Amino acid sequence: MAEDLTLRGKKTGCRIEDNTKAGRYGMFRNPLGDWLGSVRGAITVLMFAILSPFLMAQTAGTGALAGKVTDAAGAPVANAMVTVVNADSGRTQTAATGLDGTYRFSPLPPGNYRVKFEATGFQALEIASTTVPAAGAATVDGKLESEQKSGEPSLKDLGFTPDQTAGSAAAQARLDKRSHMLKIHQRLGLITLAPLAATLILSNGAASRNGTASGREIHAAVGGVTAGMYLTTASFAIFAPKIPGTPTRGPIRLHKALAWIHGPGMILTPILGALAYQQRSNGEKVHGLAGAHGAVGAITGIAYGAAMLSVVIKF
Amino acid sequence: MNQPILALFLLLAPAAVFGADSQWVLGPSALSYHVSHPLHESVGVSREARGKGVCRAGQCDFLIAVPVKSFDSKDSNRDLHMLQVTRGGQFPMVTVRVLLLESDLASATIHCDLEIQFAGQTAHYKQVPFQREAHGNDIRITGTIPATLADFKIDPPSLLAVPVKNDVPVKVEMTWRPM
Repeated sequence: MAEDLTLRGKKTGCRIEDNTKAGRYGMFRNPLGDWLGSVRGAITVLMFAILSPFLMAQTAGTGALAGKVTDAAGAPVANAMVTVVNADSGRTQTAATGLDGTYRFSPLPPGNYRVKFEATGFQALEIASTTVPAAGAATVDGKLESEQKSGEPSLKDLGFTPDQTAGSAAAQARLDKRSHMLKIHQRLGLITLAPLAATLILSNGAASRNGTASGREIHAAVGGVTAGMYLTTASFAIFAPKIPGTPTRGPIRLHKALAWIHGPGMILTPILGALAYQQRSNGEKVHGLAGAHGAVGAITGIAYGAAMLSVVIKF
Repeated sequence: MNQPILALFLLLAPAAVFGADSQWVLGPSALSYHVSHPLHESVGVSREARGKGVCRAGQCDFLIAVPVKSFDSKDSNRDLHMLQVTRGGQFPMVTVRVLLLESDLASATIHCDLEIQFAGQTAHYKQVPFQREAHGNDIRITGTIPATLADFKIDPPSLLAVPVKNDVPVKVEMTWRPM
């Protein structure tokens, strides 16, 4: 029954359709019991499959062979291929070194072995003979020489330091994150242009002689959306990872300089706008600092547009 | 055979058979890549290449290396973007290995087989012509490597949703000096 289910059951999403005779004709059965039986059987087979080499090896011997593969400077070589060949039987086994350069064959029948180390960028190294004892482990370390031919110029010959020539995944991840955040900054910046333009247009219905209370409210609401989107846009540039040792050159200098105008402007404009709104709501004429709301808003909008233009011709 | 003649013979024989060793070092140089887009052209230049050449038994082996981040297109934002798309954080160097016959060094036009490692990839360019001019002991080499972004599995960056062209020729101007 369990085998039938395993072989004939058709998996559809999370449900298994029972195509066995019992299932089709509604005979009593316990699906959970069948499933457990099936799992139990599978585990038994799996355990036997996993343990059988060890059981066989136990009969042959309990020796082991281990070691570490390094380069000429002593640094571990990961993913090096280690091959051991039994001198008597000719049986060959292979293993790859881990990140720390170590490898281990265990258990290994005692006897004499030939050991070969191979890794990309290195000359192959072969140890003609080593003895694996019946009990305990033999240690064979491999020191690999660079594949570079004798006399062939190398980066070291050119005077580059390891810091200059060795890259890192972390450095690349920082660059990737920076690019990703700046792409979002660019896209959000473009999108923010729409509410910014709308706010400027709607200011006519809020501040002109024909301005109404509802016009002021709509202007204030759209202005608030603009300020919110602007701050979100700016945060992606401000918090993008900085890459050390890269001085700012070219159009981005103007782009950054203009941020010192539209940045404070985008904070000041809503504050002045709120003051103006309050004065108008009280039936007063806009006066004092609030009178600068329109001018500050216009300068902010112009600086923002100029900042966009300063970087638009680039990739 | 008297002793002085024997000594002279022993001294000169290896050089006559295997050819004398010579070494070259890279002096002032400029490597520049050219990127084309329907709306824009840009050029990034590096003057930080270092190189060494070793000639032995008539065969010369030259190695030129340059940090990816040393290319300057007069726009730091673009340079950092270039560094990112070319995986310069993980693979910070461009290396060029050139194998050629020592006798070819005397030709006005040298055809070189290049092996370039860049962006974690290796590309081979066969028989790339370079012009050679001798200035005293110095040799000035100029030419263009017909590189493409696809050769190094680099996704072309885009401007306004239009990607740059695949061809990124690299102009080479180098001065080599004997060591």
